[in-house]
Amino acid sequence: MGNGDKGRPNKKFKFSNKEEHKEPVFADDNSYYPEDNDDDYRDGEGKKRDFTKLELKLDHANRPLWACADGRIFLETFSPLYKQAYDFLIAIAEPVCRPESMHEYNLTPHSLYAAVSVGLETDTIIAVLSKLSKTKLPQEMIDFIRASTANYGKVKLVLKKNRYFIESPFPEVLKTLLKDEVIGRARISNEGMRGNDVFTVSKSLGEIEGRHDELLNEAELAAAAEEKETHSFEIDPAQVENVKQRCLPNALNYPMLEEYDFRNDTVNPDLDMELKPQAQPRPYQEKSLSKMFGNGRARSGIIVLPCGAGKSLVGVSAASRIKKSCLCLATNAVSVDQWAFQFKLWSTIRDEQICRFTSDSKERFRGNAGVVVTTYNMVAFGGKRSEESEKIIEEIRNREWGLLLMDEVHVVPAHMFRKVISITKSHCKLGLTATLVREDERITDLNFLIGPKLYEANWLDLVKGGFIANVQCAEVWCPMTKEFFAEYLKKENSKKKQALYVMNPNKFRACEFLIRFHEQQRGDKIIVFADNLFALTEYAMKLRKPMIYGATSHVERTKILEKFKTSSDVNTIFLSKVGDNSIDIPEANVIIQISSHAGSRRQEAQRLGRILRAKGKHQDRMAGGKEEYNAFFYSLVSTDTQEMYYSTKRQQFLIDQGYSFKVITSLPPSDSGPELSYHSLDDQLALLSKVLSAGDDAVGLEQLEEDADGMALMKARRFGGSMSKMSGASGMVYMEYSTGQKRPGQGQMKSKPKDPNKRHHLFKKRFT
Amino acid sequence: MVNAIKGLFITCDVPMAQFIINMNAALPQSQKFIIHILDNTHLFVRSDVAGMIRSAIADFREQNTYEKPS
Repeated sequence: MGNGDKGRPNKKFKFSNKEEHKEPVFADDNSYYPEDNDDDYRDGEGKKRDFTKLELKLDHANRPLWACADGRIFLETFSPLYKQAYDFLIAIAEPVCRPESMHEYNLTPHSLYAAVSVGLETDTIIAVLSKLSKTKLPQEMIDFIRASTANYGKVKLVLKKNRYFIESPFPEVLKTLLKDEVIGRARISNEGMRGNDVFTVSKSLGEIEGRHDELLNEAELAAAAEEKETHSFEIDPAQVENVKQRCLPNALNYPMLEEYDFRNDTVNPDLDMELKPQAQPRPYQEKSLSKMFGNGRARSGIIVLPCGAGKSLVGVSAASRIKKSCLCLATNAVSVDQWAFQFKLWSTIRDEQICRFTSDSKERFRGNAGVVVTTYNMVAFGGKRSEESEKIIEEIRNREWGLLLMDEVHVVPAHMFRKVISITKSHCKLGLTATLVREDERITDLNFLIGPKLYEANWLDLVKGGFIANVQCAEVWCPMTKEFFAEYLKKENSKKKQALYVMNPNKFRACEFLIRFHEQQRGDKIIVFADNLFALTEYAMKLRKPMIYGATSHVERTKILEKFKTSSDVNTIFLSKVGDNSIDIPEANVIIQISSHAGSRRQEAQRLGRILRAKGKHQDRMAGGKEEYNAFFYSLVSTDTQEMYYSTKRQQFLIDQGYSFKVITSLPPSDSGPELSYHSLDDQLALLSKVLSAGDDAVGLEQLEEDADGMALMKARRFGGSMSKMSGASGMVYMEYSTGQKRPGQGQMKSKPKDPNKRHHLFKKRFT
Repeated sequence: MVNAIKGLFITCDVPMAQFIINMNAALPQSQKFIIHILDNTHLFVRSDVAGMIRSAIADFREQNTYEKPS
């Protein structure tokens, strides 16, 4: 499970390697690289691989990287060429692990596909790689790069007037594609023009060309072939995703190019927005944007930046460069508000050009171009909608969007993505995320749903540059007390194990100690995370701190967060899983994690992200500045329990990003006495009996509980809207009707229910 | 009358003592091996069970350790 995301592409590569060696045709390889025999394969677990035969170049000391025949590349970060080599490698390979002085990368078909799509040519890749490598480039690697990139760019997916076409200057390529079952089925045949024969149609359709398409294709054509005409066929919008998937390197190997020539798009109206002059993108933001707009067109893809590094500015800049209608998708209502705010903050967009579409605020879209900010749920929601939102969604559906901006792409379930993407028609998709890991290994799906990864920043470089906070990560080991551990071991308590190790009094004391220390000695703002609701309430009540969890109302949340941000009385808040993503709390700089979702690497990284936003003066944050660390991330772990397992697993992602975890064993200090809670045995026993007497459902497996929590929250919100509509009880429909009955003298006019859209805005608030 | 029993004196930390006690409790009466619980961190057990306790603890710790798959 842990290595799946990088293990899968490896396997593919290994496979191709193997074939080459078994096939006698490839005798060349063996003569070129004679000692490269079975030892080099990955399957021997723990087997040492011999690289002594690799030929070192004479000036190897000046070159920054090692390239191995199995597609792995190791980069020395202390090399003077590091920066250039890093920029290059991140474009062509997947980062596997990036500690301080040595990075590991992996070449995969996907990463090479991404490389070509940002404009690197096959020969350039090979040339630069061999220039940077300390050893002669293995022939396998060269073959692999050629094989993965050869077919790229021959096929294009084009969106014209709300219909999808597959275009190619090579009719034979289209024929090959059509032979494929999936693509053949996805094709929409045009009644008039279509003959029975599958192969002829592509040509006859190819002739329909608008003036603007000519422009779009010109460069493409010149580069690819001397052909004058483009051949195309239309495909079913619902099948686009499947078709794309079939075209990927592991199937037909004709990866489709999705570019949007927005400057020459005369069909869609322009949106008048510019970045404000004070919006100064940082170097890495510039770089990620340049990858997206490399040749004057917009490419679809994903940009990976750590939390707090300014993802929204990248999104807003992209939108203001394309200057077309933009649909921005966020995960929840709070971040919808934040996105709308960011758009207004960084760009010159006028208030009436931007609208939010959530269950609470349904702002209608005026004018012919603008920005709509909404949530994935709102778009993908399958049930009955209110009349009002049905209208809006219809408008979203019918429009051609210049840019589809997707926030936090890693959290959205794949099926929801599919729905959103099939509903909305966009020329260009940009996904933003901080952590491109998923526990369900669906990350590769994103490759064809959105596009290749365009840019990924190195966390440690951003820390060094002072763009994100320098975080001290620590794992605090809390021994279990005798009584708690005895209960933990009992078989009948297997469902309460989690509650027992979370409520471990030693952990509580450590938590209390840390809160006191940071509040009093450093004046920090602290967030305490607990996934287990039972623990969350117990801790928060005992320590008398405010808490936010799934059932906390929006109003209360805002109130608590506001207090936390502004008041010096509230320095600590307790958050459940709801705080993981997108709750923007820039003030916080300490996180204490007392319980967590099993072994989720993503959650760990997201939580760390809550405190990554850089604070204080810039020069203090730079390497060698006043403060070495300005943010703290504590993970409290009860030793000798399952939590140790989960905790190590969770840290993997951050360790791969180059973070190191310090282990602290002496908290709270041994001389701390009754000033911390649960000092006496009686208190501890009382706590224990409370844990044991709590129902299994209260303290049970947090996974279920939390999932239900999140779901219930979503449902409750949705039903609130639609139920009232359905019953008519809370709406004006019923009330108007009854008043009409009472006073028939008022005329028939009144008996008609009023259009809820025309309601005065004061009342609107009350009834929706 | 003095009774002498040959046994094994175990010193360990608090949770591990609990682990051994729990292990002992799960066994049928005839196989119980703890002769005396001296205090929180010291136990006196039958001399032939050292190997078994060691392997049980090793197993237990194994379960709680995450190894990065390579």
